[in-house]
Amino acid sequence: MSNTGRSTVPLLAARDLVKAHGRTEALRGASVELRAGEILAVTGASGSGKSTLLHCLAGIVRPDTGSVTYGGERLDQLPEQRLSELRRTEFGVVFQFGQLIPELTALDNVALPLLLAGARRQEAQAKAGEWLERFGVRGQEELRPGEMSGGQAQRAALARALVTGPKIVFADEPTGALDSLASEQVMTALTHTARESGTAVLLITHDAQVAAYADREVRLADGAVTPLEVAA
Amino acid sequence: MRADLRLAWLLTRGSDRREWWRITLTALGAALATGIGLAVATIISIRGQYSVSFGSGLLDQPSDRQGVIIALLMLLVPVLGFLGQCARVGAVHRDRRLAALRLAGAAPRQVRRIAALEAGLACLVGSAVATVFSVLLLLRVWQDPEPLAWLGIALVAVAVPVLGATVSALSLRRVVASPLGWVRRVRPTRGPGRAFLAVTVLLAVMAVGIGLIAFLGDPLFFHNSLDMALAPLLVFAISLLIGVSAVWLAGWSSRRLGAVLATRAQRPALLIAAERLRDDPWAAARTHAAVLLVTVVGTAFAGIRTVLLQVVNNTEYLAENRSYYTTGLDLSGAAILIALALTLSALAVGTAEALATRRRGLAAQAAAGVPQSVLGRALLLETALPLAPALLLAGAGGTAIYVGWATMIDDAVGAIPLVPVLVPVAVYATCLLASATSLPLLHRSVRPAELRYV
Amino acid sequence: MIGMSTRHILLGLLATGPSHGYDLKRRHDERFPQARPLAYGQVYTTLQRLARDGLAEVDGTDSDGGPERTTYRSTDDGARELAKWAGEIAPPAPFVTNDIFAKVVVSILSGGDPEAYLRAQRAAHMERMRELTAVKTAQGTDLATVLSADYALNHLDADLRWMTTTAARLTTLTAEVDAA
Repeated sequence: MSNTGRSTVPLLAARDLVKAHGRTEALRGASVELRAGEILAVTGASGSGKSTLLHCLAGIVRPDTGSVTYGGERLDQLPEQRLSELRRTEFGVVFQFGQLIPELTALDNVALPLLLAGARRQEAQAKAGEWLERFGVRGQEELRPGEMSGGQAQRAALARALVTGPKIVFADEPTGALDSLASEQVMTALTHTARESGTAVLLITHDAQVAAYADREVRLADGAVTPLEVAA
Repeated sequence: MRADLRLAWLLTRGSDRREWWRITLTALGAALATGIGLAVATIISIRGQYSVSFGSGLLDQPSDRQGVIIALLMLLVPVLGFLGQCARVGAVHRDRRLAALRLAGAAPRQVRRIAALEAGLACLVGSAVATVFSVLLLLRVWQDPEPLAWLGIALVAVAVPVLGATVSALSLRRVVASPLGWVRRVRPTRGPGRAFLAVTVLLAVMAVGIGLIAFLGDPLFFHNSLDMALAPLLVFAISLLIGVSAVWLAGWSSRRLGAVLATRAQRPALLIAAERLRDDPWAAARTHAAVLLVTVVGTAFAGIRTVLLQVVNNTEYLAENRSYYTTGLDLSGAAILIALALTLSALAVGTAEALATRRRGLAAQAAAGVPQSVLGRALLLETALPLAPALLLAGAGGTAIYVGWATMIDDAVGAIPLVPVLVPVAVYATCLLASATSLPLLHRSVRPAELRYV
Repeated sequence: MIGMSTRHILLGLLATGPSHGYDLKRRHDERFPQARPLAYGQVYTTLQRLARDGLAEVDGTDSDGGPERTTYRSTDDGARELAKWAGEIAPPAPFVTNDIFAKVVVSILSGGDPEAYLRAQRAAHMERMRELTAVKTAQGTDLATVLSADYALNHLDADLRWMTTTAARLTTLTAEVDAA
């Protein structure tokens, strides 16, 4: 697994990230690489710094020290406006819940990133409709997130994350609030689409069955990456 | 009762900052209401002609005092609106807490009593402070107040906390009904219920009734003491009626406007704002109604004031000295400005509260790359959209009132001034400024730290 | 346990009609995709034992152009036995043979590195779970495969969770084992 990295430059690389929330250190020198098109699971106990790692990698928060490099740019040094633009165009984000605007219909929620990019409403809605269909959300376009089941809402959230054709999707416990069947449907939809379109996925989960959808696993403990295999 | 009181105190002490805001603002509103009530009670107790060393002779004549009472009663309307808005601060959290109390086994009655105690105590503090200062002031300007004045003061000081507790207990009846119903999610604000409709109808009947009695008794003048009492009541009832109708209008037009704009919006900020209006049209209805009322009164007053000043300046021989007129006008103007300030703070409080309840979702939006400028614009549009047509209407109404009045009086008016037409524009601008005060809060709300509680 | 259920599974496959050994093996492997594949020899000896106990009997032989094959069919006794077995509950894991736990304890006793062992075991489990997930999510996979993969995934997941909590309590366990 260590040889494949040589030929391909990592798409996203984090080195020695340190981040403290108040007096508690969430990250203590974590380093992670994400290659183009790969699905990487980050696992660990609650409080091990998984979400903070995702926030640093996606440019949502800045690490106290350490670097995050994406496409030759240092995310930890970019101005907030450029970060916001990156998150909107090159990245997609899916959380456990809450990423859909409760007042907008499923269709408008998925169309929102396109509208933000300046698309016309009709075009944006047409494309959003295609993506909803791709994720098996049919006949629910006009429903608001609160009126959908958890699994349907999460699939709509995936459609919103992928509608702009991002390079990386960041998913923070995307199945955390779902039962196992809905969770399976969401994960299958996510991994199929990501593999089809060559989108890299950084998947945060505490659930080994969800992590098993990934190509590779990184394990966090106490804010740092632990070696997975024993040194030979 | 002792246990309830202790529980109410424990819960309040352990609650977060927003609940303290609610309590402080409620106490402030109660103090204002008490102050106005005390002033009314004292002025009512003055009989016949007096020489009051206060207010440039405005309080000397019974008919003038009546005007002052009307103005004071009208000031109560925005104060009540302000109190209504304050009750919403941290309300989601409070409702959840009360539901949790029910889950823990408290009887509906007990929960209602705890909530009523909380509101009642806040009102009591406000009322007590206002009463003490008012009495001190009164004793300085009036050596030996009548017993009637003391009675009125005592009545008002007790009535405000009792009313506060009652309203709070009544408004919580749905929260208290089910231990689970309100715990789960933030719901859109309910539209005015049957009670509100009943109040609207009652007010309308009252206004018509009082009007009929007054006019049938004596079509032009209010001479006897019954009419003296009825005239301010009539004006108060009518202005309350306009206020509650404005609530209906504001909610209804928000929904219509939201629906129309949501289907046509091309810009994301407009789309978000329109869908929010459609989803929760009653959220800001009360504040917007107060804005409408202040605008109607403000526009009409500005016009009447300009016309009156022209008349005063053009007339050489006045019945009273010049300051009698200008003081009256200035006092009324000050009252309207206070009303505007109260309404604007209610608006700012409402916007901040709307933001605070949504902060987790907003943080998620910002994390997903929705620019803060779009979120901020959506927030401002949420206030700006429904207010624009409403203020246009209110401005037109106010203008109609003063232009009608100016054409009715036969003094030397001169040209009817058009400057007061700018009042609605100014009100609109200050409303936008008031809701813009929440923008720094938006900036703080979208911090990724909020995501940690997802 | 495995010997016991092979008898009944073969009886169950025979319930649809007479069949010969090779056919039975093929159908078994198809129906139970994630189970250990049956060896032909095992099928043959099990069929002979079923015949000896009167639960199955020889139906005939056919050659079909190739080598000669013996066809078996279920008897009435066999059908009764099958119905009885299918209705019985499976005893909920009466004896747990936990290799992983044994290795951890032995590793502590012999002064080894149980933590490194658990880490390696975890990686192996995850690798197998990824394989099973890939099988299950491949396009056009039938439901039987998905369900049997799920069964295996859930068991591996249970092992993993046990390993995670054990790894977190190794210090206490070491003290306890060393003291005893």
